[in-house]
Amino acid sequence: MGELFQTLLQRPNFVVFVILFLWGIYIMAVHPNLVKKLIGLYIVQTSAIFFLVAFSAKDGATVPIILEGAAAVDPSIYANPLPHVLTVTAIVVQVATLGVSLALVSAIYRKFGTLDEDELIEKLK
Amino acid sequence: MSSHLPILLFLVPFFMGVSMPILTAKRRALCPDITLGTVIVMVIVAILNLRFVLTEGPIEYALGGWTAPLGIAWLNDSIAAVIALTISVVSLLTIVYGRVVVTTGLEKSVPYYTLILIMMSGLVGLIFAADLFNVFVFLEVAALTGYALVAASGGKALVYAFRYLLLGSFGATLYLLGLSHLYVATGTLNMADLSDRLPELMTSTAVAAGLIYIFLGLSIKMALIPLHSWLPDAYANAPSSVTPFLASTVTKVALVAWVRIEYSLITPTVEVSAVPVLVLLEELGVIAALVGGALALIQTDLKRMFAYGGVSHIGLILIGVSLGNDTGFAGGMFYLINDAIMQAALFMIAGAILHYHNASTLDDVRGLGHVTSPWLTASLIVVAIAMVGLPPTGGFFGKWNIILGALEAEHYVAVFAVVASTLLTFGYFLKVFANWFHQPQAVEVKTIEVARELRFSLGMASFAIIALGLMSDTVVQYLLESVSRGGI
Repeated sequence: MGELFQTLLQRPNFVVFVILFLWGIYIMAVHPNLVKKLIGLYIVQTSAIFFLVAFSAKDGATVPIILEGAAAVDPSIYANPLPHVLTVTAIVVQVATLGVSLALVSAIYRKFGTLDEDELIEKLK
Repeated sequence: MSSHLPILLFLVPFFMGVSMPILTAKRRALCPDITLGTVIVMVIVAILNLRFVLTEGPIEYALGGWTAPLGIAWLNDSIAAVIALTISVVSLLTIVYGRVVVTTGLEKSVPYYTLILIMMSGLVGLIFAADLFNVFVFLEVAALTGYALVAASGGKALVYAFRYLLLGSFGATLYLLGLSHLYVATGTLNMADLSDRLPELMTSTAVAAGLIYIFLGLSIKMALIPLHSWLPDAYANAPSSVTPFLASTVTKVALVAWVRIEYSLITPTVEVSAVPVLVLLEELGVIAALVGGALALIQTDLKRMFAYGGVSHIGLILIGVSLGNDTGFAGGMFYLINDAIMQAALFMIAGAILHYHNASTLDDVRGLGHVTSPWLTASLIVVAIAMVGLPPTGGFFGKWNIILGALEAEHYVAVFAVVASTLLTFGYFLKVFANWFHQPQAVEVKTIEVARELRFSLGMASFAIIALGLMSDTVVQYLLESVSRGGI
């Protein structure tokens, strides 16, 4: 048990990722309000992005641009650009999802006059 | 030039979709025609691409001239080419059909046609993508447009579209998480590279977790039981013109994405505590095929019944591709092509019944066989024969090859599942036909005429189902060949 805690404490980033991920799922599953469900989804998505950033972080690394005329290239001083590019794309996808979902939520509110899932199920019958 | 056909297949609908608001700024009525023209061009390009792959063999297309592993690769192999052609043809049929059966308010709606075209480009990208992150992006392009299309007509569908969105986005996030695990373990996202580096890393928990996340994410997208709950409600309430297109493409293409990953990464020797992973996947397929069929049997709403039928077929295809031998794999892929056309035809029929007779449940269709157009009855019979899996339709030969593959692998549970799901399918179509040909109380024979476009779509779909059956040997041989050539 003690060993487990030690391993966990050595990886605070991943602990934060797990907490965010589970918290988001919990909100999605438990809250009846559709906007709160969306917030839960947003937290889950953010946790995945946090995971990407967490493993690609590098102390003291610089942008991977090689200046012209530079001598030998030392890869250890550059950050890996790929996870960051993935992060940016994932954020774009996340924003697009949020846009579509908010449009849907507002359409649901205009149509049914409520955002509570239980009331919606009642009205759908 | 010919080698650029895949990107052309992607760019044509994308460009037309994006420029649709400008092209139709003055004349709204042009929307359906522009969409139809674009899809016809897509079908032609897809045929040319298939011909190109048949003569030249599979090629890796490097986007922007940057070759893999640095650049983004698209794999243009025979399976991708065949499925791209299937998707284009199905889109053509459903769009012709959508000119008649369309919800009021959507006929000349620019956003609606834009969404359809952008969704097609997303699907094409998903078929060709040979890079895990590319798959994620196209998956989301197709899914986001899909949510919007389900909700296009408003009403109840809004709530079901929201549920679809919640589950679908969660699935996509799981997929993203899975691919980042694989990236951490291997340092690459290219599928060909991954299949080189992964076999020796299979004992790593990061890789196992990554593959599980990817599978869970994609099984939400492909509506594999028990993660199918978004599908029946969304499909039953979506606009009638949208459902055939969605039902025949989204789940199948997500399955194709999984098949690519499974085929290149999971070999029959990969085991979890002495149980091969492929067998586990196959058992999941068995459960989906049986439970999906049983759930379809107890439905009273036609669209929901057909939706569950589609869910059970996803299970059948998963059985086929997870048997670990070429016969089963080719059978599964062949069944996938058939299933795309069958689902499109089924939902076109269900939509047409709703449009002409305002009938949506089993009770509503009672005695409809005596009053409805012979086109509807005939195409329903052809599709039913194909869904049950009787010769000479394509459905039979797909199931036949899956069973042959299962016998070859000596997995008798899979054989049982295929046969049992056939019986279940037969059961629910029996229910449909018992009502369909029920003698009406008052005999008033007034046959209705269905529109020319509808006759074209239904006729072509039925023709395609039978033609695939008659040409099954060629197609299956061709799929087998591409598998053994290391295509996929």
